[in-house]
Amino acid sequence: MSHTEPTSAIPHSQVLHFPKGGKPTLAPNEWQVFHWDQDEGGIPDLEHGAHKVLAPFHWWVKHHQERDVMSLAHAGKIGVWFATDDDILKHADIIQAGKALWPVVAAHFPIFRDGRSFSTAALLRDRFAWDGEIRAIGDVLIDQLLQGARVGFDSFHLRSDQNLEIALTQFDVITVTTQNSWRGKRTLLKA
Amino acid sequence: MYKYDHIDQTLVDQRVTQFKDQVERRLNGTLPEEEFRPLRLQNGLYHQRHAYMLRVAIPYGLFSAKQLRTLAMIADRYDRGYGHFTTRQNIQFNWIDLEDAPAILADLAKVEMHAIQTSGNCIRNITSDAFAGVAGDEYIDPRPICELLRQWSTLHPEFAHLPRKFKFAINGAQEDRTVLLCHDVGIELKKDAAGNLLADLYAGGGMGRTPILGSLIKQDLPWQYLPSYLTALLRVYNRFGRRDNLYKARIKILVKALGPAEFARQVEGEWAHIADGDDNFTQAEWDRVAQHFTKPAYQALTALTHDELLAHCAPQLNAQEQLAFSRWLERNVRKHQVPGYASVILSLKPHGTAAPGDATSAQMLAIADLADQYSFGELRVTHEQNLVLADVEQTQLLALWRAAKAQNLVLPNIGLLTDIIACPGGDFCSLANAKSLPIAKAIQERFDDLDYLNDLGEITLNISGCINSCGHHHVGNIGVLGVDKDGEEWYQITLGGEQGNDAAIGKVIGPSFYADEIPEVMTGIINTYVSQRHEDESFIATYRRLGVAPFKEAAYANAKKKTSLEKATIEGRAS
Repeated sequence: MSHTEPTSAIPHSQVLHFPKGGKPTLAPNEWQVFHWDQDEGGIPDLEHGAHKVLAPFHWWVKHHQERDVMSLAHAGKIGVWFATDDDILKHADIIQAGKALWPVVAAHFPIFRDGRSFSTAALLRDRFAWDGEIRAIGDVLIDQLLQGARVGFDSFHLRSDQNLEIALTQFDVITVTTQNSWRGKRTLLKA
Repeated sequence: MYKYDHIDQTLVDQRVTQFKDQVERRLNGTLPEEEFRPLRLQNGLYHQRHAYMLRVAIPYGLFSAKQLRTLAMIADRYDRGYGHFTTRQNIQFNWIDLEDAPAILADLAKVEMHAIQTSGNCIRNITSDAFAGVAGDEYIDPRPICELLRQWSTLHPEFAHLPRKFKFAINGAQEDRTVLLCHDVGIELKKDAAGNLLADLYAGGGMGRTPILGSLIKQDLPWQYLPSYLTALLRVYNRFGRRDNLYKARIKILVKALGPAEFARQVEGEWAHIADGDDNFTQAEWDRVAQHFTKPAYQALTALTHDELLAHCAPQLNAQEQLAFSRWLERNVRKHQVPGYASVILSLKPHGTAAPGDATSAQMLAIADLADQYSFGELRVTHEQNLVLADVEQTQLLALWRAAKAQNLVLPNIGLLTDIIACPGGDFCSLANAKSLPIAKAIQERFDDLDYLNDLGEITLNISGCINSCGHHHVGNIGVLGVDKDGEEWYQITLGGEQGNDAAIGKVIGPSFYADEIPEVMTGIINTYVSQRHEDESFIATYRRLGVAPFKEAAYANAKKKTSLEKATIEGRAS
């Protein structure tokens, strides 16, 4: 059973933003997630679309040196998303270079209970010192938000059936921590 | 023992509120079962055959009389008047309504208890030596490290959805009473010549379908670095542990696939980036926790030998009582670090009258009183599913024995054949292939003679109702595993398993048996030992000397004998 991209429901037009040190808010989604497979060819026609594109990282690895891709990237229209099986540490050089180009990166949840993207976000923050937006995409549910926010995510495109009003209330459900995270040190060390 | 501060208390209180909201969303239909499942599991709630089961953590096995009274209250108010102590220092209630779960967790929070991460694919309740802080063979009291890591692992966000469950055990004594090598991570504490506290880490141990003993992957890690090193280790596992196959998702499979050296190298590579960060424990954190594990107010007493103690008590005992009390002193009382004190094991293994590890609410209340009266109000639960009063004055042992006897808690069978470890099995658990409890009962009834049991000496017998191995059958000298064959319950026997410093995984002796053949099979195995043993040779030593062949032969001969006897009886009736 898969909850990824339910076909019957319309995706949320809004994204939940929860910047470090800020408050959770909703804002219109500007980024379209591009799911690329081998025979699909290039990226969608950005000239006529309303959205900027989050491209799969493995697509970026293959195409980022192409001229039209570079020019769109320089225009701030391309971000990348990491799949759970992308070994980001193996592509450290490409990620370091991409940091100057991508307005946003994302990490994907094929199913909510797959926690690999938690480590991806943590590594992006710790190892790559990425201080831009990291968005959670895919099977993103209300009850993962608190964990996601702590490991390094600061925006969430929730699954279409998730109630955004309830989602907004999740971040102060537990106000103390007993280990460090991207958001801050453990409560004991803050005192 | 450790006392919550406002941070701990806030965390468990808010966790109750969070779960209450999740249960409400489940009940009003906005949260589907598939998505609620990991949330309830990480709050200790399983859905079983008849009802929900709630598994409550007893972190590193240490709890108070006050907490035990709350557990008794929960058993009475929300369950059927009893609880089941497990091999991993938890207690389970088998008849819980989902609607009641938030209220139960709130009751637990009031006495500084919780069910956080007692299930699910996360870091589970951390287990340790039930005799921590009092054992005669201890070189490091592991409890401060246990508590520091309990806090560090609680609601750890990055490791909330691991490929599979993840179990820590921590030992600081010469003899390992934690089954250290059967854990995802086993932490062995020691001190160097300068007195610095260090840890050796073993990774990739586990039971289940593929039993493997852990491999040493890190030596001499200063204790302060445990959080960063464990972050590195869990990060490697979280990223690369298999998620395509439930049965290959434990860290043991990753460690085996990579090889321990390569796994250690990857962890080391990750750790190099974070080793000197502020994840690490500080001395102030140690001091804050360690102050709770100081020694209680022991009296200055004279140590008594077994004979001195017996002589001291003899005038108050008739001949029959003298024998029973003496046996109990031998089997159920352990040496203590402090002269004049002893640790007492209360047996939760009566012969055939209760499931191994079960205690009624009446027993729990009585045990809480005993703890208050004789042992500074504290208790421990052992890997073998018994309870311990750790700090009893030797001169109080007789009074304690009499009081505990009234509650049926003094059977002197600790470490003997009938001190059976068993999971709840098919009577309760929906994962089980077969029942465990009737097998335990049948064996306890067959071997009900204490003289004979004493003569047999130390033998461990562990029963699991399925390959998940909650009854730790792989490390029993004799292991019994329930298996399903065409919808029928069968039992596979393993021999040669051992826990402790010489940990070993038992070997399957051959095709499985019917439930009603098991007592005869055990008799065959035990008779083989009795007839072949050298003087003072333990069961496991005899097995190691002889190998499986004679035991196997006797087991199958006895099973066959039983079958042909039955056949004859049936034919006799028919004619």
